[in-house]
Amino acid sequence: MTGTATAPAATAVPLTGPSSGQRHRRRVRSYWRFYLALSPFYVLFAVFGLYPMLSTIVLAFQRWDGLGARRFTGLENFRFLIEDPTFWLALTNTVVLFLMSTVPTLVIALVLAVMLQSAVRFTSVYRIGYFIPNVTSLVAMAIFFGSVFSTNFGLVNAMLRSLGIPEQDWLGQPWGIKIAISTMIVWQWVGYNTLIYLAGLQAIPRDQYEAAKVDGAGTVRTFFSITLPQLRPVILFTVVISTIGGLQTFTEPQVMVGNSGGTGQSGMTVVLFFYRAAFLDNDYGYAAAIALSIFALVLLFTAINWRIFRGRGEDR
Amino acid sequence: MTRYRLRGVALHVALVGALLVFMFPFAWTIIMASNSTADIYRFPPKFSFGSQFDDNVRHVLANVAFFQSMLNTAVVAVSTTLLVLFFDSLAAFTFAKFRFPGRNALFVVLLATMLLPAQLAAVPQFQTMALLGWVGSLKALIVPGAANAFGIFWMRQYFQNSIHDELVEAATLDGCGFLRTYWHVALPSARPALAFLGIFTFVASWNDYMWPLIVLTNPDHLTLQVALSTLNRSHGVDYSMVMTGALMAMVPLVIVFGIFARQFIKGSTEGAIRG
Amino acid sequence: MELSRRTLLAGGFAAVLGGTVVGCSSGMDAGSTTKKNAATELTLWCWPGGLGKSVLDDTVAYFPDPKIKYSEVGGDFKQKLITTFNGGTSIPDITGIKGEDIASMLPQAERFVDLRTVGADAILGDYVEWKVKQATTLDGKVIGLPIDIGPTALYYREDVFTKGGLPGDPAAVAEQLKTWDDLFAAGVELKKSNPKALIVWDATDLYDIVVGQGTERYVSKDNTFIGDQDHIRKAWDTVVKAMTLKIDGKTASGSPDWNAGLDQGTVPAHVGAAWVALDIKSAVKSSVGEWRLAPTPGGPANFGGSFLTITKNAADPAKAFEVIKYMLTPDNQAKAFADAQIFPATPSAYDKPQLKVADPFFGGQVPIEIFGPAAEAIPVAYEAPSDVAVAQPFKDELKTVQSGAKTSDAAWSAAVSKAKSIAKRQGVQ
Repeated sequence: MTGTATAPAATAVPLTGPSSGQRHRRRVRSYWRFYLALSPFYVLFAVFGLYPMLSTIVLAFQRWDGLGARRFTGLENFRFLIEDPTFWLALTNTVVLFLMSTVPTLVIALVLAVMLQSAVRFTSVYRIGYFIPNVTSLVAMAIFFGSVFSTNFGLVNAMLRSLGIPEQDWLGQPWGIKIAISTMIVWQWVGYNTLIYLAGLQAIPRDQYEAAKVDGAGTVRTFFSITLPQLRPVILFTVVISTIGGLQTFTEPQVMVGNSGGTGQSGMTVVLFFYRAAFLDNDYGYAAAIALSIFALVLLFTAINWRIFRGRGEDR
Repeated sequence: MTRYRLRGVALHVALVGALLVFMFPFAWTIIMASNSTADIYRFPPKFSFGSQFDDNVRHVLANVAFFQSMLNTAVVAVSTTLLVLFFDSLAAFTFAKFRFPGRNALFVVLLATMLLPAQLAAVPQFQTMALLGWVGSLKALIVPGAANAFGIFWMRQYFQNSIHDELVEAATLDGCGFLRTYWHVALPSARPALAFLGIFTFVASWNDYMWPLIVLTNPDHLTLQVALSTLNRSHGVDYSMVMTGALMAMVPLVIVFGIFARQFIKGSTEGAIRG
Repeated sequence: MELSRRTLLAGGFAAVLGGTVVGCSSGMDAGSTTKKNAATELTLWCWPGGLGKSVLDDTVAYFPDPKIKYSEVGGDFKQKLITTFNGGTSIPDITGIKGEDIASMLPQAERFVDLRTVGADAILGDYVEWKVKQATTLDGKVIGLPIDIGPTALYYREDVFTKGGLPGDPAAVAEQLKTWDDLFAAGVELKKSNPKALIVWDATDLYDIVVGQGTERYVSKDNTFIGDQDHIRKAWDTVVKAMTLKIDGKTASGSPDWNAGLDQGTVPAHVGAAWVALDIKSAVKSSVGEWRLAPTPGGPANFGGSFLTITKNAADPAKAFEVIKYMLTPDNQAKAFADAQIFPATPSAYDKPQLKVADPFFGGQVPIEIFGPAAEAIPVAYEAPSDVAVAQPFKDELKTVQSGAKTSDAAWSAAVSKAKSIAKRQGVQ
């Protein structure tokens, strides 16, 4: 996403006019249209995005149950947060779930994209088919995956049983919960990433491959020496998108294992933790403190991402 | 030559295999929705379609106001999508093709907003809605999402690449105003990108779960996702009924996607990442 | 345009500055609105299955003016209610509150009409005393009228029990399964001949019931944390014993596995409140008539049982009180039981004909003969507003013992330290 934002400003068209003086006056008169055209986003963002976030900052230093009066408590919420084992657990869970789902998703997507690129026929059928999981109802699919992993009547256990492997209590085991959730995320997001990689692959100039062929490089070597390096910006884009999505994991665990996060609170993600503090425990000040801490972490991660990407970019 | 062909066959076998994996949950949902709960719980599992679908649908309708929820969801998703398409493409076109003071700063702010996890501001957002008197109303879902940074950013990339500056200049010389240039030049050439953004927005809005769960307090104004989770949570639930509800919630999305699929695929490959 | 961290930061800073102005000038601070509802309609909220259908229909017909508008609120009822209060719009005139939520709503008593100010004193004596107490604030306000109570019993499959060499007749079961140890011993016995039939459906579910058999919970009346004391540890150990004996089915009630297991005989028994009968009845198809009822091993407990309350937003509190009073008379409570197993909170209803009916689902047993005595013998324990929150870590940690991830002692100390910190957060000493 960052690499794409560097298009030169020169593409902007000055509104043309006969003389420069006239042009200038005409431009000034015309500016208001541009600002008006941009205003919906900024107005909506100010009211429904920025204002709530600023209020969150204030709220994080208050104690409020949502009904009674607000009371300033200084850093109490943060002090409690640092000592709250569930917060750290939720953070770990989120990161583990992110890794368990993102790594397979991106690897499978890349493999599929490379295969799709070399296939000649039916590519649009494949593309549409692969993408469909991304356009289904999330709640419906969480219910579905919950049923597939159910202990006594789930399909996964039925398969294990017919293979003679002992059945597992998937949604009753901390690791089983993570597997169920990440399986669903992988299923949902592989197709999306495949399409993006495919687009990236198609943008790689043909002649580079031709040259490699002349040099006698095999398929695997071509992949590692040409495809992967060329695809790096696209891969970074998918990693960023997955990070944003992974951090917001809420529906899957909430529907599959409930508000408590299941056994060992293994499905307790940071957003679920936040939701629970705010809307189930009505501890709004605490929820705000959670939100701020998570936001600080996001900024940190983004800065690290940025650093890595920029550092590499300058090498080139 | 035969080796080449063999490789082609192997390739398609792998691709079809993947396709089957992706499609399997849908088939299995249909199987579950067309059987009785007792059939679902059998071992070995039943892999054929049953005849209980009508019954299950009837149960779903008896348990939740399904059509009302679907109508609500459709109203939210359609209005959000139309608003997003309009506001985002207009802003994107402005960013892409015109120069004006503060343009770069505004764009940086726009990008910065993409970093903010909006979900986490849910508490004050709710307070804002309370102040406006929108709690429980569908407006609380439509208005905040009527324009978004991702769409503007994405459409801007598209406009930069796909519309030649000369075209805009020519339109301006022909006396086309800003809005008319947007309407007659920019929009028609951006169809694949609009299809992509439209589907993207529609799906996201249709599937939104946490915010409706919080803000739709009025039981007559639920969205499908919330109604569905209600169905799943109630005690002593009829499992084939829940899967029927799940199936019914997915169908409209698949239909909408089916209609725009080709445009969408085209849009997805020609868009932002090529920049 | 070159994007750098610095420009991004600058942009963010500008956005924050701009927003501050917006934020300050609008001064959006949602105060609590106590606007009265319009008098044209009387809105009533409850969750699915919370009120008997015929009683509800009858009540709606009986009070034509203003018309009663009933809404069934699914999902997390308390969360919906609180956010609605918070949102300030479409607050119902009358709302149900679940038994497990009532204690945490007491600090919000000013949101509700004190029923004694609208004439509740005359009828409070009709309801079991401990239930009314649950809805009474420390300074004596009564915010809710009991809809029902949840006396517990042992539900079991007669066919599975007899086949497994256990007694099948309710009287004999009552005689043999007096304590939890008895039940567990029977479970071990049953498992020998029928390895799939596990007598405890889910040990972590059972925990709540065992705690409910005591006279103390997690927080004492003088607001000190007592969750680390013997009474809780005993309940904990009882449940862990079921796990170590490997007679724990790990199928939480209401889960698909539980629903299916009831019919298939893998969940041959359940300990639950009177209203669980409705869940079991709706889940099973083939085992109708095979189910029986016996007293809860170790003595009765109460699980659930809810209230109707009137909010301060009610247009006409006196009228609203007329409605709930009518709805919850002993006669109507008996009717609701016949409708949907909603167990009356009024002892005088136990003598009504609707409750004396033999139930073919339970092989012709008369449920009230088990639940009636249980209802009157339920131990009274003080439930602090923080009770649900403080109890949560114990249940969470028990699950880790159940899954084998932690030993009982390790989980116990984790539970106690988590519970202590939550209690502290909730203002408990």
